Amino acid sequence: MLKARLILVLLFVVSFSLATYLQPVRAAREEAGGESGGVLALLLGDGRKMFANQFFAKADAYFHRGNYPSIFDNEPHHEENHMAGEAAHGEHAGEDHDEDEHKLAPAQDWIERFGRHFYPTEHVHLEAGGEREMLPWLRLSAELDPHRVATYTVTAYWLRSRLNKVNEAEAFLRDGLRANPNDPEILYELGRLFYESRQDPVRAKNLWLLARKRWQETEASKETPNKLLLEQILGGLAALEVQAGRPREAIPYLKELKAASPDPAEIQKRIDEILTGAVAPPAKSKE
Amino acid sequence: MAAILRTENLRVEYRSRESQSGAKVALQGLNLSVGAGEVFGFLGPNGAGKTTTMNVLLGYVNPTAGAAYLFDVNVREPIARQRIGYLPELTYYYKFLTAEELLRFYARIFEIPNAETERRIDQLLKLVELEHARKRPIRTYSKGMQQRAGLAQALINNPDLLLLDEPTSGLDPLGRMKVREIIQRLKSEGKTVFFSSHELGEVETVCDRVAILHQGELKVQGRVSDLLSEHQTNLEQVFLKIVGYQPQTS
Amino acid sequence: MNKILAVAGVVIKELYRRKDFYILFILTALMTLLLGSVNLFNDDRIVRYLKEICLLLIWLSTLIIAITTAARQIPFEREQRTIFPLLAKPIARWQVVLGKFAGCWLASGLALIVFYGFFALISASREHTLPAAHYFQALWLHWLMLGIVIALTLLGSVALTTPAANVTIVFILSVGILFVGEHLHKVAGRMSEPASTLVTLGYFLLPHLEFFDVRRLIIHDWPLIEWTYIGGATLYGLAYAAFFLLAACLVFRRKALN
Repeated sequence: MLKARLILVLLFVVSFSLATYLQPVRAAREEAGGESGGVLALLLGDGRKMFANQFFAKADAYFHRGNYPSIFDNEPHHEENHMAGEAAHGEHAGEDHDEDEHKLAPAQDWIERFGRHFYPTEHVHLEAGGEREMLPWLRLSAELDPHRVATYTVTAYWLRSRLNKVNEAEAFLRDGLRANPNDPEILYELGRLFYESRQDPVRAKNLWLLARKRWQETEASKETPNKLLLEQILGGLAALEVQAGRPREAIPYLKELKAASPDPAEIQKRIDEILTGAVAPPAKSKE
Repeated sequence: MAAILRTENLRVEYRSRESQSGAKVALQGLNLSVGAGEVFGFLGPNGAGKTTTMNVLLGYVNPTAGAAYLFDVNVREPIARQRIGYLPELTYYYKFLTAEELLRFYARIFEIPNAETERRIDQLLKLVELEHARKRPIRTYSKGMQQRAGLAQALINNPDLLLLDEPTSGLDPLGRMKVREIIQRLKSEGKTVFFSSHELGEVETVCDRVAILHQGELKVQGRVSDLLSEHQTNLEQVFLKIVGYQPQTS
Repeated sequence: MNKILAVAGVVIKELYRRKDFYILFILTALMTLLLGSVNLFNDDRIVRYLKEICLLLIWLSTLIIAITTAARQIPFEREQRTIFPLLAKPIARWQVVLGKFAGCWLASGLALIVFYGFFALISASREHTLPAAHYFQALWLHWLMLGIVIALTLLGSVALTTPAANVTIVFILSVGILFVGEHLHKVAGRMSEPASTLVTLGYFLLPHLEFFDVRRLIIHDWPLIEWTYIGGATLYGLAYAAFFLLAACLVFRRKALN
C-alpha cells in the first residue's frame, strides 16, 4: 500500500514538473506568432474550418429560433443566410426575401404531419434584444476559424446595431483585424461602426479610404473580385461626404462606383443630381 | 402417501454435434416419485442426469417428452414453484444487495405480506447466523456466508418441498452439521427434502429413500434401509455396484 | 404486478449503487457550469446556447444510462447465474422481462428528473422564469423515448449474443433515427429501386424517436405543444415499447439459460 502511495506521489511530482516546464515553452511559441487556436483548434485540426462554418450556420438557425431547413428539405437553402444577409444589407433586407423560401413543403404523410408539432415550423426572426442568443455560436465560429472574415463583420453588426454593445463590437472587429491584417471587409465594417454608432465621420472616412486601398491591393487582381464590397465602400464614402455637406467631394467616389456598379445609370443619376445642386443630405443609403 | 414430486416418462434431449443422431439423451423415461415428508436422496455419477432433472423440476429446461409435477402442478407453470425452496450448489446472488434486501426481494416474489416477511427475515438470519452482516452487501461476504445466505433464501417462503443441489459442497464440518440439522428439523416439521449429493455417507444418514441415476436412466429407487439389507453392504458399495463400477485388479 | 415491481426495485437499486449515473451527472453539471462561466461580450443574459448544450449532454447521458443499464440486465443475470435462483421462484420469464423493463424505465425516469431539475435551475438562474409546463412536456416525451429504446435494448439483449454488440447497435440506431428518421422518405425519393422501397419501409416501420425530441422548442421558447399531440405521442411510444417487449418475452421464453 505504501509502495502504491509513493508511486502516486512520484507521478504527481513528475506531472507537475512537466507542466511547469511546458507552460513557458507554449507561451513563448504563442507569442512568437501564428494562431493561438485554443483548445478546440488543437483538438479539431483543419476540420475546425468545417466546424466554424457549421457554427456560423447554427447562429442563423438561432436567428430563426430553431426553425432551419435541413439538407434533406425540398426547398433549397438560401445561399446567404438571413442573419448574415441582414448584417450585410441592412435591417430591411430581410423583408425582401421570399417568405415562401422558408415555408415547409406540404407534408407527404401522416408521420411528417404529426412530427411537425414537435419542432419549430414558423418562420420568425429574433428581435428586441433576442439577437444576443446568436453570439456564442458566432464567437465559437471565429475561435475555430479566425480567417473567416464574415463572422467578425456579422457579429459586429448585431452587437452594435441591435444590442447596443458598440465597445464589444469594436473590440471584436479589432480581434478580426489582428487575425486578418488589413482585411478590407473588416476595415469597412469598422468604418461603419464609427460612422453609424459612434458618429465619428472622420475616423470612418479614414477607415473606408484604407479599406478601398486594401481592396485595390488584394481584390482587384482576382478573377472574381468582391465588387459588392467595393460598392459598399465607395457608397459609404460618397454618402459620408454628402452628409457632411460636401456633395461635390462625393463625385469622384461616385464615378469610381459607377465603373463597378451593375446599375451605372442610377449612379450617374446621383452624380447629375449633385452637379445640378439638387441633392439634399440623403437618408442612410440602402446598402 | 401422495407424491409431492413426480416425473412421468421424463425424457430430455440436447442438440449435440458430437452425437451421430445430432441429439444427446440426458434423461430417458425417468419415473420418479417423492412422497410428502420424505428426505429423498438423488444420486448418480457425474453426467448421470441429476442436474438435468433438477433443471426440469425448476422450469429451466422443457422436457422433450414426458412431464414433471410438483404438488400435482406441471412444472411448466410458475405457480408450481410457489411452495418450493431451492438451494443451488454454487451461490449466485445479487452482489450489490444486502442479505436482508435479497430475502425481502424473494419474499415479494412469493407475495408474502410485509409484516410476515420482516418476521421471517429476522428468524432466518438468526438461524443461518448472518444477523451481524444483514446490512452489508453480499459481495463482502465470505463463501460460507454466501452459502448461508443461500440457505436463508431457500427457506424464506417456508417451503413444503426443499430442493438442494449438493448442499454440503464446499462447506466445512461445522457448516455440514448445520445443514444436516436443518434437514432433520425440516423433516420433523413434515417438510419434504429432495437433494442431490455425492456425499454418500451423509445420504445414508439422513435420507429415507434414494434414487440412483446412471447415463440418464433410473437404475434403482427405494428405501435406504431396504437397499442396504438387500445388498448387505453400505450405500457407497451399493452405488458402485449399480453404476457398474469394476475395481481394477492389479 | 407485485413480482414485476419487485424485479424493477432490484434494477433501480442496482442503478443508484453503480457509479455511472453520478459520473454522468457530475460531468454534465461541470461542463454546463464551465460553459456558463464564459464571458460572451459582457452579456450575462445569453442563455439559449447553455440550454442547448445542457440538453444535449442530458440526452447523451440518459441515452447511455438507459442503453447500458438495459443491455446488461438479462445477459449479466445469465452470466452471473443469478437468473437461476430467480426463476426457481414462482415467476414467469415474461414477468422477469417486464420487471427489467419497468426497473430500467423507472430508473431512467428518476435520472431524468434529476437532470431536468438541474437544467431548470440553470435556465431559471439566467432567464428568471420557470416554464414548468414546457419542461414537463419535454421530460415526459424524453422519458417515453427512453422507454422505446429500453424495450428495444431488452429485445437485443435476449436476441444477440453479446451486450457490447447490443449496445452498439441500439446506440447507432437511436442516434441515427434521431438525426435522419424524419427525412428518410425524402431520401427514398432520391434513390433508385429497390433501395427506395427498403428505405421507405424503414421510414414507416422504425419508431420515430424524433417525435420525442422537443429540444428546439424548449431552447427557443416556443409555446406549449397541444396536449392532444402529447397524448398521441404517448400512445405511439407505448405501442412501440409494447411491441419490442412482446418480442423480447417471446424470444426469452425459448432461450436456454446457460
